[in-house]
Amino acid sequence: MAKVMRQALDSACFLNTNRRRIGPGGENGTFSRQPAGRRCYLFVVALFLLCLPRLAVAGSWNSPAQALAQKIVTVTGPGAVAITVENRSSLSKKDADAIGGLLRVELESLGVRPVPPQQAAASVAVWLSENPRAYVWVAEIRAGTAEPSVVMVELPRAEDGGFLRESAAESIRKIALWAQEERILDVLVLEEQTAPTQIAVLDGEKVAIYRMKNGKWAQEQNLAISHTRPWPRDLRGRILGAQDHLFDVYLPGVFCRSTPSLPLALSCRESDDPWPLVAPDRGGYSPAGRGAAVPPLGAFYSASRNFFTGALTPGLGKMTNAGKFYSAAPLPRESYVLWLFAETGGEIHLVDGVTEQAEKLGWGSDVASVRTACGANWQVLATGTGDGNEENGGDSVRAYEVADRDPAAVSAALNLSGEITALWTDAKGDSAIAVVRNRESGEYEAFRLGVVCSQ
Amino acid sequence: MKRFGWAWFAASSMLLRSLMGPAAAETRPQYGGTLRIAMLESPGSLDPSDATQPDSLARRNLLGLIFETLVTVDERGRVQPALAVDWQAASGKQRWQFRLRRGVKFHDGSGLTAEIAASALRTANPSWKVFAEGESVIVEMDRADADFPAELALPHNSMVKRMGNGKLSGTGPFHIEDWQAGKKLTLGAEENQWRGRAFVDRIEVEMGRNFHDQLVELDLGRADLIEVPPETGPRVATEGRRVSASQPMELVALVFSGEAQSAEEKLLRRALAHSVERASMRGAVLQGAGQAAASILPNWISGFGFAFAGAANLELARREREQVRSAPNLTVGYDANDSLARVLAERVALNARDAGISLQTTTAAKSDLRLARIALPSADPWVALRGVAEALGVALPRTSGTSVEELYAAERGLLAGQRVIPLFHLPAEWAASNALQDWSPAADGGWRLEDVWLGKVAMGKSRP
Repeated sequence: MAKVMRQALDSACFLNTNRRRIGPGGENGTFSRQPAGRRCYLFVVALFLLCLPRLAVAGSWNSPAQALAQKIVTVTGPGAVAITVENRSSLSKKDADAIGGLLRVELESLGVRPVPPQQAAASVAVWLSENPRAYVWVAEIRAGTAEPSVVMVELPRAEDGGFLRESAAESIRKIALWAQEERILDVLVLEEQTAPTQIAVLDGEKVAIYRMKNGKWAQEQNLAISHTRPWPRDLRGRILGAQDHLFDVYLPGVFCRSTPSLPLALSCRESDDPWPLVAPDRGGYSPAGRGAAVPPLGAFYSASRNFFTGALTPGLGKMTNAGKFYSAAPLPRESYVLWLFAETGGEIHLVDGVTEQAEKLGWGSDVASVRTACGANWQVLATGTGDGNEENGGDSVRAYEVADRDPAAVSAALNLSGEITALWTDAKGDSAIAVVRNRESGEYEAFRLGVVCSQ
Repeated sequence: MKRFGWAWFAASSMLLRSLMGPAAAETRPQYGGTLRIAMLESPGSLDPSDATQPDSLARRNLLGLIFETLVTVDERGRVQPALAVDWQAASGKQRWQFRLRRGVKFHDGSGLTAEIAASALRTANPSWKVFAEGESVIVEMDRADADFPAELALPHNSMVKRMGNGKLSGTGPFHIEDWQAGKKLTLGAEENQWRGRAFVDRIEVEMGRNFHDQLVELDLGRADLIEVPPETGPRVATEGRRVSASQPMELVALVFSGEAQSAEEKLLRRALAHSVERASMRGAVLQGAGQAAASILPNWISGFGFAFAGAANLELARREREQVRSAPNLTVGYDANDSLARVLAERVALNARDAGISLQTTTAAKSDLRLARIALPSADPWVALRGVAEALGVALPRTSGTSVEELYAAERGLLAGQRVIPLFHLPAEWAASNALQDWSPAADGGWRLEDVWLGKVAMGKSRP
């Protein structure tokens, strides 16, 4: 059966589970816009995606089951044997049952005849266990009054099980983009059709360019980031599309600029230039619907800390210093732009260039605004403590609208699988990039978050 | 118990999180403040290579704030780069080359060089052949050792620069500001540490504080992080404090002072092992903390700890005892300052008497066996096993093997010597103030204080 699954996977696979990379639309939110036939096809593919890690692991159980069966038979020899299998690992009951079944088949193929204990010449107790590095399958073999023998095999643990099993939120939809062990700082979608087809992933040491080929992300280029000073802890950074070249990278005390086209080169220099708070217009970020255009605004970022110093350029009206803040989000109004600054002291500072006020809203440190077709056309995504998310202890993201100066939640909290380490408005302005450190795997997972209208 | 170690650790983390209330994890770390720690131990030296200092998790954690090693072992037992960016083996894993990270500086401002690194390793391991070669450190051994990088992650192999005035300089996230041996340690955040400056400005460690005093200091807001004995962890948590735990990293065991000299002595030891009622001791004395153990390595590290049988069998113990014609009166020693050790030793003596074995408790330095608490040195199973063997004074055969079966055979061999009767594996536990944010000790008990930060005490949905 495992072989059949394997073959099916080989033919349908567009996810490389070994490398823990996720294909487009790997989570949710994009399928409903497809034509019916394609929708069906994508549904099947999505079903495969959801099952894939388990199936892939199932395929890899054959070999250790064979090895353990061989070791057991070396001790017992062929004949009547009582066999029990107990799961002492984090494997699910279903998986453990499947492994037990495989093991019995392998033992039978080697001449062992499973019988009840009272008819057995030997008894074999198999425990499916684990340690931090591997699954450990242990068999204790008792025959007569002799000292029991213990044999065992190990196989590496699958590390990516949790990523695809996230449940969907109702109003904020997330699409998995990328996961890796190194801390992801930002992701720039360079090309997309119905789903991203080329992305640039920024971490502390490189920008990696990936392209979707045959349903898998394939690395196109790896551009090293040079820096002489150590990065601060809680490293943050941005990668933003540019007008006359492909992208710019902003890191604490460092600025990098790419060449215009592939194959790319990246030149980095020490710099205290301000970081753009509004992504440059790449042909997709012109505000649509209600609201004024968002004029460019830059903010200076501390080279040795994790916040913006507060200094703004060119400023908001007469205000050129907003106080130290972690993140900022513009909300265009009819005739002005309301800026929200998540200050390091915990308050949200609302500034329109003429008036300003600070509110304790109970939001987290990261805010990002997105342009949508819902409600007032602009929502703020704000991080927060997981709402009923005790199961994995992760953070959450919730969408708010800000009527006048009073924010109101317009979505349920989207619980995530760990701590949110980055939340930035996407280049097009209609979604946000969130990076989450998965509490189980320790990996950093980048998602694209979009607000979906309730009707 | 279906899901053992990792699930248990996750559950304890969740417990911690629920006790914290709506945690402020969504808030970005803030810089500044002084983190105050109280601890029981009173180390007399901060020199990682000082072999006269007893090894303990607390000492390791202190050293880890100041000093770093070439590599580290992560929570999954994998060797990770630290001051060395990569490494390779040659000559059948007898020669190891570690290439140093560039730009790393000691707290005195000088750079880490291969010569200094080699010197530090030679000081800690006089028998090793270590030398510098370009930007690399070479270690040559007389036999192959596939697990050598994990051994380099042990704290005594830290990179230490010895200054002319007898002071020590490290490359870790904190530098020493003030050191009153055994009493108080003040550390300052190293501004240009290669991994980035720590969030807190300063750490003050008060040493030699008993657990009761530590708890009072936490409750009065005079400490942010204190130790909690595992047996009191549940009570401390139910009283509303934030308690978190490592995976079991301490072995509690009965250790005989020497090898069994006769077949009868071996039988008596076996009888004693069969008499110990670990389960009832764990419930009554440890209040359910830790895990009853018949293995040296905890199950979460090896994956096969349960395969060593440890259930009490009083009938068998009596039968074995009866086969011993002249059984001596035995004494079991324990540390007079360790109340848990005293109670456990008394329970062991009681169990022994039930089996007909005469066993008296004593705090005298000399005894036939002692109740020992051995801190496992690493989450790497081979390094941990060797460390325990060393603590027992027993040689563990060197092996080039790395398979789980070879590990099992090595542990089984160690136990077959009958020098040690494992009793329990205990976690390390701590209670933290509400101000301490992002406090999440590693599975192996590592503090990771460079990543914590201090928020305001008020917790809740509203921002601090």
